Amino acid sequence: MACMNEDGQWIVLMGLLTALGLFFLALIINQSALVGQTTAEGVLEFPKNDIRDLRSAIFDHYDRCGNLDALMRQQNAEDIVRISLERKNAVVHFWNDTAQDISGRMLRPITIHYNNGVTVYNETVYY
Amino acid sequence: MVNDSGQLYTMEGVAAGVIMLLTAYIVISTTSIYTPGDTHIPDMQLEQLGSDVLAMMDTPDINGSDSRLNGLVRGGTGTGDTLRGEFLAGCKMRYEDPDNDLKAQVYLSYRTLSGNVSTIQLSSLDPEFTGRENTVRVTRWVQLPSGSTYDLPNLESSRPHAVLVEVLLWRA
Repeated sequence: MACMNEDGQWIVLMGLLTALGLFFLALIINQSALVGQTTAEGVLEFPKNDIRDLRSAIFDHYDRCGNLDALMRQQNAEDIVRISLERKNAVVHFWNDTAQDISGRMLRPITIHYNNGVTVYNETVYY
Repeated sequence: MVNDSGQLYTMEGVAAGVIMLLTAYIVISTTSIYTPGDTHIPDMQLEQLGSDVLAMMDTPDINGSDSRLNGLVRGGTGTGDTLRGEFLAGCKMRYEDPDNDLKAQVYLSYRTLSGNVSTIQLSSLDPEFTGRENTVRVTRWVQLPSGSTYDLPNLESSRPHAVLVEVLLWRA
């Protein structure tokens, strides 16, 4: 060692820096695969489309069943609750209160509860 | 006393050791990510595509009219294959290639006269369906108005029904 030529130390140092830089890049590529995986799992797990669709189904229920008698209305609401539980593994509960004057329009407060064991969603919306 | 020349070589040795350790770490941690059956990313994309196509089919052409999906569900098992065909056509719309591997199966859940939930197959069974495909399921609520007769067994047609359209979607 002692008698070796010690010229070109800058070249050696730059080589070391390049090698370290490449390893950091490799680390980023490695992590990116993991990030894509966990993101996809998160998207699959979170029932965004289910909740949106459930909301529109409930609004549909109020649009179409508003003039029906109480039994038919209740049957239609029970359709949503029971099919949600059986086919979507989600506990759904919703109800409305009497309409109120909201900025000159008569709107009902509709309360929606949704729980599929992973995601809980609660909302009161004036419709 | 030890000769202190050649210190850079010592440093180089240490750096080489660190780099080798990093290499081993990266190699080992990379191979543990992709295990067989770990296909979440394509599943997520397929599920999103299917949801979007169902949402598109459930959007009426004219405000206040019924959507195409609603009309096809009202047809019951008679229009189930049409529903599947139009759904798949919607899924393949963005591709250049025909994407013939994409398969779908349509089911419908509703409450019968007795109040129980019944799930029937709306489209005819895919001849290659084994039940072991890696499928995703997308669903959409549909409101069926009262008064009409539907081609669905044990459905009480005197009241409006909220029914659930379920589509199994997979690549063969």
